[in-house]
Amino acid sequence: MPSSTSSSDPPKGIVRKEGALPAGLRLTASDRPGQAQPVPTRDVPKQPWGRILAAVAVALVAGVTALELNARRLGLEAGDLDNSEVAWVKERVRSENADVAIVGDSRILFDTDLDRFEALTGTRPVQLAIHGTSALTLLEDAASNPNFRGLLIVGLADTMFFQPFDGYGEYVRRRGDFTSPSGRIGIEIDHMLQRRLAFLDSNHRLSVAAHRLDPDFRPGVEGPKHDIWKVSQVGEQRATWMWPRVEYDPEYRARTRWAWKGFKEKFPYTPQLMAKGHARAKAAVETIRARGGDVVFVRPPSAPELRVNEEAQVPRAKGWDRLIANTQSVGVHADDLPPDVQNLTLPEWSHLNRKCATVFTDAYVRRLAALTPRIRLRANAPPPLTRVDCV
Amino acid sequence: MIFNSLTFVVFFAVVLALHYAPWFSWHQKKINLLVASYLFYAAWNPPFVILLWISTVVDWWAAQWMVRSKRDSTRRAWMIISVVVNLGMLAYFKYGEFLLQNFTALAASMGIAYQPPSWDIVLPVGISFYTFATLSYTLDVYLKRAKPAQHFLDYALFVTFFPHLVAGPIMRPTELVPQFAEPRRATAHQLYFGFALIILGLFQKVVLADGFLAPVVEKVYDAREGVPMMLDAWVATLAFSGQIFCDFAGYSTTAIGVAMGLGFAMPDNFRFPYAAVGFSDFWRRWHITLSSWLRDYLYIPLGGNRHGPVRTYTALMGTMLLGGLWHGAAWTFVVWGGLHGLYLGVERWLRGKFGGWTPGPASIFALGILTYVLVNITWVFFRAKDFTVASTMLTSMAGMAANPVPMIALLPMIYAMVIVGGIVATHWAMRDKTLEIAVERTPAWLVGGLLSIMAIAVVAEQGKGSAFIYFQF
Repeated sequence: MPSSTSSSDPPKGIVRKEGALPAGLRLTASDRPGQAQPVPTRDVPKQPWGRILAAVAVALVAGVTALELNARRLGLEAGDLDNSEVAWVKERVRSENADVAIVGDSRILFDTDLDRFEALTGTRPVQLAIHGTSALTLLEDAASNPNFRGLLIVGLADTMFFQPFDGYGEYVRRRGDFTSPSGRIGIEIDHMLQRRLAFLDSNHRLSVAAHRLDPDFRPGVEGPKHDIWKVSQVGEQRATWMWPRVEYDPEYRARTRWAWKGFKEKFPYTPQLMAKGHARAKAAVETIRARGGDVVFVRPPSAPELRVNEEAQVPRAKGWDRLIANTQSVGVHADDLPPDVQNLTLPEWSHLNRKCATVFTDAYVRRLAALTPRIRLRANAPPPLTRVDCV
Repeated sequence: MIFNSLTFVVFFAVVLALHYAPWFSWHQKKINLLVASYLFYAAWNPPFVILLWISTVVDWWAAQWMVRSKRDSTRRAWMIISVVVNLGMLAYFKYGEFLLQNFTALAASMGIAYQPPSWDIVLPVGISFYTFATLSYTLDVYLKRAKPAQHFLDYALFVTFFPHLVAGPIMRPTELVPQFAEPRRATAHQLYFGFALIILGLFQKVVLADGFLAPVVEKVYDAREGVPMMLDAWVATLAFSGQIFCDFAGYSTTAIGVAMGLGFAMPDNFRFPYAAVGFSDFWRRWHITLSSWLRDYLYIPLGGNRHGPVRTYTALMGTMLLGGLWHGAAWTFVVWGGLHGLYLGVERWLRGKFGGWTPGPASIFALGILTYVLVNITWVFFRAKDFTVASTMLTSMAGMAANPVPMIALLPMIYAMVIVGGIVATHWAMRDKTLEIAVERTPAWLVGGLLSIMAIAVVAEQGKGSAFIYFQF
């Protein structure tokens, strides 16, 4: 079909060599050496394109409907906003002048109920914790933020804190890469759709789901089956909690526990590494305090099945206790909370379920209010919660 | 912004609406396209639009003054100004850190402890592409191969036209500027086929390159510890051959579809390269607009094949080394280009030696496979982040690694090999055809079915992946 974007006449100057180009090929710049290239030729193949595209549109609607139904069958929900580098950077910008910000790994991320925090104190903290990431990385990032003069709550798992890797939060040092206008617009559009559609979950992308079908046939390879599957749901402003299916589906819960491997993998936490971690933490805390901010620490609970291995690698005396003393900080360790908020439910041993996260938040915020003047309980704060509120 | 983003979907919908709105004149529509193109670019990093403006204005005036001046020396001076400004910007932003690192290493080797300041310059997206596009304008005018553009708006739009701006195809002004002279409006079929090309391009990029091939490549090439087994090293390298093709050909196909939807024609950038028989054939099929640019503005001016074999081989190697460096400021890219230069040189020598030999179908197929395997050896240097990784990979691919370990799970390996096998088989089936001819010969129900599957797969994959590989070049 002749088209307005094609030119049937050979442009002037084209070196046409009979037989040089097989029939069916059109000339490209590679066939015209040393000359100004002419307006390209673009054909439209003869097909009923209107009907084809209409059929594609119908199939697409049907496909999206099927994807959505399947997602809901799997327990995915609309309103789960997914986590992303751009979402984190957006909150990082918000933290510049925040009264309270939270940094840390997945435990403080899952185990803090931002709504409860706000109900108790009147302040909604900015959530900057990142799963699989050393809180030290994020503590240092907060120290590098010259505008932050508020209270920084550092939540940590000891083994994660002292590891020498940034983990999933390696992008924190490259946050400038995620501040483009297109990224900011993109995340708004993305969230707008995710508030309505459940299947837009990066944990269930086509290729991710396909890779998880791997039968583990190849000895010596940790296949995608061993990776961590979906564990959390994310709401507005990175509020994060446990995906309900981890709680109610025993098979899925067992798989998640298996993926953690009991935190048995031993990393060499040498005295030098520990000393370096303590020194870095002290320097970062002092930097924040020097400009009028403050830092407190929170150690969320972990189940005995993990705790025994965590303690073997980074004992509390060498990790948490020394961190508090060295930085001259106050902190709330889950072990030290009152008995009625002990033994909270940790379905996959590492994170609290959603209701218990609210109980833990209630407990640690009340404790912090007693330890630092920077957190004050509201006069009309709701009454304290206990373990019975989440079992 | 990138084509595989929701931002682009909204952006393109608005651009299409403005382009087909009846109340705008053609002049106003061109202004709309120009503004949209600047927004497209600024969506990454707004200040870098200034570089586009500098490049546009300098080359526009350089060409104008070249035409007006009577003396060759003046014409040459304006050409040199254009080259210096364009290559100067490219050198500063793209090669500044590389040069500094090499200078520091050289100084250290001579016992001079030079501590350079930190280099925090961000590489402007697409600078390699639009620099080459605008350079071809002044060079063509200087060489009297083309007349300068008549209207500044048309020229500015050529430089900035968003479908080709950040990752090509590298268009020449003579290919695009004339298209702005008359009102362009796609027919309904062109618009629909444009959408079909966009679906095909996004499928290649989002599903095949990012979704299924990239994880296999990363598993081996970015492994923090362990040496891959021979099988893993080969699978990862073959997967990369598929990933980089789907990534870049996907971009080009999408760009062609986007332009077609607006009524503009863009040139082919790929012609089924993994069916190439020999390396000159490969470069006639791979990234055609770059290879022809290097041929026309580097290889031929360096002497081409007009001054004897020594000069020819030198020009060939020089062109490929610089072509390698164009892809990235790292010695691994130089080696990649050098290997291709070596391959082209050897091929040229063999053609001279065995010029009378006419290979049969089996020989052609065998030579094609040999070409593909040797191209894959070069991809190792293209993908490896340093020579240590490249050396490890080549050692493993040769089956000479000590204590190798398996790295890729069974199913991802199967997916990768099926996709790469499919790509290579398709290229062989299509090596003497165009996509359009193949589509025309396919039943409509099958075209519709394949497009539907691709569209659903793109949506299911969600396209939240990374930017196109070629954006970093």
